[in-house]
Amino acid sequence: MEYILKNGIVYDPVNEINGEKKDVMFRDGKIVNSVSDSAKILDVTDKLVMPAGVDVHCHLAGPKLCVGRLYRPEDERKGVKPKTDITRAETGFSIPSCPATGYRFSRMGYGTVVEAAVPPLEAKHTHEEIIAIPNIDIPPLTLFGNNWFVMQFAKEGNIEDLAAFVSAWLKITKGYGVKIVNPCGSEAWGWGGNVHGIDDPAPYWDVTAREVIRALAQANEMLGLPHSIHVHPNDLGHPGNFPTTINTIDCMKDIKKNSEYRNQTIHLTHAQFHCYEGTSWRDVTSGAQPVADYINKNDHVTMDLGAVTLDETTTMTADGPMEYDLYELTGLKWANKDIELETASGLVPFIYSGRNPVHSLQWAIGLELALMVENPWQVALTTDSPNAGPFIRYPRVISWLMSNKRRMEMMDNKEVHGWAAKKSALATLDREYDFYDIATITRAAPSKIYGFEDRGNLSVGSLADIAVYDLEPNNFDPTVNAAAVENAFSNALYTIKDGEILVKDGEVVKVVSSNHVHTEVQGFEDQEKRILEQIMPMFNKYYTVKFENYIVHDHYAEPSTVYKVNASK
Amino acid sequence: MKQITLTPKKFSSIALEFDELIPDEIYGWSKEDFERYEVPVGNTRFPLTDYYEIEVEGEAESPEEVKLTIDGDAGRVKYIGCKMGAGEIIVNGDADLQAGAEMTGGSLTINGNAESYAGREMKGGEITIKGNVREYAGTSYIGEWRGMSGGKITIYGNAGKQLADAMSGGEIHVHGNCDILAGIHMTKGFIQIDGDVTRWPGGQMKNGAIVVNGRLERLLEGFELDGIVNDPVVEGREFTGKYIKYIGDIGVNGKGSLLLNAEKNRHHL
Ligand SMILES: [Zn+2]
Ligand SMILES: [Zn+2]
Repeated sequence: MEYILKNGIVYDPVNEINGEKKDVMFRDGKIVNSVSDSAKILDVTDKLVMPAGVDVHCHLAGPKLCVGRLYRPEDERKGVKPKTDITRAETGFSIPSCPATGYRFSRMGYGTVVEAAVPPLEAKHTHEEIIAIPNIDIPPLTLFGNNWFVMQFAKEGNIEDLAAFVSAWLKITKGYGVKIVNPCGSEAWGWGGNVHGIDDPAPYWDVTAREVIRALAQANEMLGLPHSIHVHPNDLGHPGNFPTTINTIDCMKDIKKNSEYRNQTIHLTHAQFHCYEGTSWRDVTSGAQPVADYINKNDHVTMDLGAVTLDETTTMTADGPMEYDLYELTGLKWANKDIELETASGLVPFIYSGRNPVHSLQWAIGLELALMVENPWQVALTTDSPNAGPFIRYPRVISWLMSNKRRMEMMDNKEVHGWAAKKSALATLDREYDFYDIATITRAAPSKIYGFEDRGNLSVGSLADIAVYDLEPNNFDPTVNAAAVENAFSNALYTIKDGEILVKDGEVVKVVSSNHVHTEVQGFEDQEKRILEQIMPMFNKYYTVKFENYIVHDHYAEPSTVYKVNASK
Repeated sequence: MKQITLTPKKFSSIALEFDELIPDEIYGWSKEDFERYEVPVGNTRFPLTDYYEIEVEGEAESPEEVKLTIDGDAGRVKYIGCKMGAGEIIVNGDADLQAGAEMTGGSLTINGNAESYAGREMKGGEITIKGNVREYAGTSYIGEWRGMSGGKITIYGNAGKQLADAMSGGEIHVHGNCDILAGIHMTKGFIQIDGDVTRWPGGQMKNGAIVVNGRLERLLEGFELDGIVNDPVVEGREFTGKYIKYIGDIGVNGKGSLLLNAEKNRHHL
């Protein structure tokens, strides 16, 4: 099937197309530069056209979601939408049902969403949920930061064996890249503790976050993976944590990148949670400026926001000790999950309120980071969904970034507490993102950060993943129309995935299976085989599952998109 | 005043759902509107006239002027008066699950027994149940930590388990007996039980008050004796006689009051 999207106003930062009126053509799921006369015409004259959205960090599939749905039926009853002839029933707000997750991303014009934290032991379950989530490609990141084998190799400084382990484990879990969460801290939680800063060793293993992060980064670059290490640093959510954040990025400075497409060697995730100055929640202030200053001076780092949306949501992370702290703070219900040999996770419901001083400051910090980091190619829009807010609020965050007027109004009208203006620099920042910048932080930069050359852009040969929104950039001022911006980005006029129209006029008109997107390293097979033999005694001794049942078999990950990586390059 | 009377003519073993038939929605409806209406039954809808004879008398300008009577057994009718904000509903028989759930005003009278979840998350208004209620009357939604916050529930019969879970306001008066864990997780509000209680009222309560006029079988360990009080005044209500007063649940640093009729509960001292 051939299509021509006619006369749209196109924003495609990878190709430096900034609001040009032009046609976008596609055939058999790919962008092409010409079509025949029989091509179907979709008239989108003057409407906003972008590549489909790419989300760098979201929690949408796997055991944490499942626990969340089980223990928060009160969330499940929100967002109930009856089935239609095309879609299944939807439930849930911060932890929607699997079908609802796919439909909602699709309605917002997204095409690819990274599942940010997959414990290898639970990878099967993650892929099972991906099977149940329609309409978006999902690359899962595999958790390595508190893995016993990883800590052992890092302690020994044995990078080649670690690289072989990572290579093997990405295959075993059908993962896309390397995720690190509170390195050594989640392991310390197994002993009822945590670590603070990057030089505080994990109990028993006597290895530090600095050693683990550096070792995994070196292994990541030895393999030449398309994505860099993806790091949730230590001390998340602790007042005074911003030096830990800078130390985490800075300890990577000398590590050489082995990838042509991306620029960074470390991706700092949900930066908002890692930019606090002060010693307690009483004297806390924003630490966004020093972190943004560092990022502005260094191109080996990219980050995503983790912007707070001021909603009742559910926090869920493989940072077990942090969730316990949060439970102590809120007194709300808490779920804790130990993942043997790998990590520890937790969940707590959380009510972010504009009346609360700390939450309002967090809201301000998320936006400050977006406005202070000068190069939008180093920024990706996230809410660490659902941790700082559910993903259906991305359009609202976009509306805030595009309108200084709206931000000031929120501070002036007391929609947020006075701390937002008093303890952060947000009120002094009048920068406003334009559609090109928005296309950068929601499409182009995310795909570059992940090494996706085939999406996040409208280049000939790329996937025909396209979003059209019901806004006319040439006749519309986003700086004074925040509500209209939010509404348009929430309900795509068209969402096109692999050349198929999945959403029209904000409604899902077609449901397709999501692709499981993962990497496969080639040229490291001998090392993988050797390392598997070497670690098998320890595996058999400590895991409660058999290795044969641990592996994610092919039929769990179909349909799939596999990125082959040549390790010898 | 508009009087609407529904007289059962056919029983459905699959429950009907009545949450759309509240005064707030139907005050302007004519007899023809009711005859056109299809009521949810399981996963589909059927004409209300399949199940009821419908009578409509008088006119109403607002929900306050509506009196809806279900003149017979509604033991397989769920959500009667759910989310109602004004007016009056009377059931001359039993009511199924969720009667008066999320009610904000008006009155609901059930002249028979009510199934579980009567008055769930009630915010205002009044529910009177002449018979017994099953579990979770005046409770929160499952998983929810914010429960009933206002209004009054009066139960003339017995109440089942976990009455008023997570209650944060309003009052409940049980004239009969009550099963385990009344007022569990409560943070505010008032519960009076005139009959006997099996065990553990006030588990993890943070605040609010529970008065038991009958005999309590087992008290939770998290309640500390505060003393014997004479003719106590609890949440503005006067009681005559001697009561044993406890404070708890200390397991959650609770400051709730639990008062037991002294004469009937001497075995706890
Ligand atoms: Zn995280
Ligand atoms: Zn996350």
